[in-house]
Amino acid sequence: MADGGSTAAAAGTLLGTSRRRRSAAARLGRGAVPYALIAPVVLTIALILGYPLYFLVRLSLQRYGLFELIRHQGVDIGLANYRSVLHDQIFWHTLLRTVVFTAANVGLTMVLGMLIALLLARVSGPVRILLSSGLVLVWSMPVVVAVQVWAWMTSYENGVVNYVLTELHVGDYTQHEWYGSTFSQLSMVTLLIVWGALPFVAITLYAGLAQVPNDLLEAAAVDGAAGWRVFRDITLPILRPILLILTSLSIIWDFGVFTQPYLLIGQSKITPGNFLMSIYLFEDGYFKSDYGRGATISLLMLVIVGVLSVVYVRRMVRIGVET
Amino acid sequence: MKRRSIVAVCLAALVAAALAATTSGATKKATAASITVWLQTDAQSGWPDLVASVNQKFQSDHPGVSVNVQYQSWGDHLQKFDATLAGGGGPDVIEMGNTEMTKYMAAGAFADLTSAKGQFDNSANWLSGLAKSGRYGGKTYGVPYYAGSRVITYRTDLFKKAGIKKLPSSTAQYVADAQRLLAQNKKKGFSPLYIAGTDWYVAMGFVFDYGGGIATQVSGKWKGLLASPKSIAGLTAFKNFFTSVSRASKTTDETHPNPYDVYAQGQAASMVGPSWFSCCVKPYSAQTAQFVMPGHVAGTSMPGFLGGSDLAVPVTSSNKALAIDWIKDFTSTSSEKTLQAKGNIPNATNLLGTTVNERAAARSWFVPTAKHWVDVENGNILRNMLAQILTGKLSVKQAAQSASDNIASVLNQP
Repeated sequence: MADGGSTAAAAGTLLGTSRRRRSAAARLGRGAVPYALIAPVVLTIALILGYPLYFLVRLSLQRYGLFELIRHQGVDIGLANYRSVLHDQIFWHTLLRTVVFTAANVGLTMVLGMLIALLLARVSGPVRILLSSGLVLVWSMPVVVAVQVWAWMTSYENGVVNYVLTELHVGDYTQHEWYGSTFSQLSMVTLLIVWGALPFVAITLYAGLAQVPNDLLEAAAVDGAAGWRVFRDITLPILRPILLILTSLSIIWDFGVFTQPYLLIGQSKITPGNFLMSIYLFEDGYFKSDYGRGATISLLMLVIVGVLSVVYVRRMVRIGVET
Repeated sequence: MKRRSIVAVCLAALVAAALAATTSGATKKATAASITVWLQTDAQSGWPDLVASVNQKFQSDHPGVSVNVQYQSWGDHLQKFDATLAGGGGPDVIEMGNTEMTKYMAAGAFADLTSAKGQFDNSANWLSGLAKSGRYGGKTYGVPYYAGSRVITYRTDLFKKAGIKKLPSSTAQYVADAQRLLAQNKKKGFSPLYIAGTDWYVAMGFVFDYGGGIATQVSGKWKGLLASPKSIAGLTAFKNFFTSVSRASKTTDETHPNPYDVYAQGQAASMVGPSWFSCCVKPYSAQTAQFVMPGHVAGTSMPGFLGGSDLAVPVTSSNKALAIDWIKDFTSTSSEKTLQAKGNIPNATNLLGTTVNERAAARSWFVPTAKHWVDVENGNILRNMLAQILTGKLSVKQAAQSASDNIASVLNQP
């Protein structure tokens, strides 16, 4: 801010205006420059997000199916789409399933990510390089490719998982069905998602751990604190902003995740009995060509994600204000 | 200050990530001197030479007009088509599966071809199953392209080794032969007849074989038939048959894995599927032959699903006359003969021959021609029912009842 003010003042001097007018310009400049600086960003966001969002809201208030699509003309029906979605049993079941699914995914990702980060901080240099290269390799794997590899590994006919488990005499896993029930289907998806999400979380947390001052840890050791106590009272509070950001991002990603469940479970096994929100949206909006209803579901999802992450976002804002 | 700006950036990223769930679309405008044709990849892998020669003929008849053939896959071509209906740049000719037609005809997505019908070769003799799928409200919107039935592809060497001298003439005989095949092939996971658990085309064949059905229209309202005693008898027979002959996953569909891959790995003595499955059975090509799947009454054949494709002209096309001319060339008698030579069923009765595929088509069934039928397929109601029955999660009766109610409520949607 100070930088902006002095630039404006310098400009005033160069133009050779009177002292009074210059100070007025400086004051005006001091107020306007920050807004001018963020204007391009605000404008861009308004253009690329605002218009689609406006269109989405309008669509959610219309009957817009295949018939309307061909004529490019929806029929206004007020809040009927919202009423129909909110009275749909499938919506509530799907919402509950998705919330539990998200909690499991985010919880596992954060805990395992933290553990790996702590491990990274403890191991020797070469091992750390090996471990973090492994993580980066996982990170760089495109989602669709990862899904395909997992599907092959867990294949009913020739999957390597079944083969290895059988050879290790864990049991007879020949032709074991890994996608037989909703629970096992979603567990496999969770495994895949957590595996794919760990690198980002672990590496970010590891970077955060590097910020924990050593003298603090040493002081704690001198005072007789160790292990869990040090982690809880020193490391965790320092990492808090990073943990909050990672948790909020994970909630947003996992709540709306589509690619992994849709491809790994496979379209022919998708039924209302194993819907996640994004799949419910896709099936109702696209497969049934009911775009108005699809828009309604996606707006409701936006609200729900907002509610789910509001706690984290508020805390993050508070940290920002405090410092 | 620094920390605050980091938090601010993160907040912006959060908002952006949350909003990124919205959709996007792109539009493309077609030029006047070209027509765009959407065919399924079956044509790309099966008869690209026919497509090329038809395009050549079309272009010599219409100098200066180019044909842009774009191959689509069954899984997502309708979603893509919907997008072009909204945004433009869609095809002038589109291949549609015969079970997909009704929804689009009802919505007014296709141009009325009734007045042009007489110009298509053999249109008076079109296969009734296909012609019916292209008609709605007394008007013709779809031109039959080709059909295909499902047959048994089998290993002659394994059948011989098991001492099977005569091909099974009933499902009971098939089960007995399956025991012999199993006795000769002890490898775990070996299927005497590979049927994917949720292959509803096979399962519904049993339902129709026992006199049942999927749904019927009673005074304007759809009524589910799967819970009728005859349908339940068919589903029970399917469950018993599957348990005796197939070691496929009880919850997988007929493309994951492709049955011919299982067969080519030596894990099956026979498989059920389109007749073109014989394409992909290396290294057993020399020991492979086909026959018509028998029904439960000795000497009859199992009613098979008559799959097929129609060609339609979207209302959004700005070159409808050219599109109709192209369809004329692509479904001409000589084109249909080429398709027949590739193992397909031609679109008219006067062209029918006596291949195993064509004999299997003699006893066939078709899905209810309801506007919302495609929602039943996409909603996997039948597949889910079969998985429930085969895994024993629900009894045949419970699963059939719930599927039947479900189907009726989907079909009766406004």
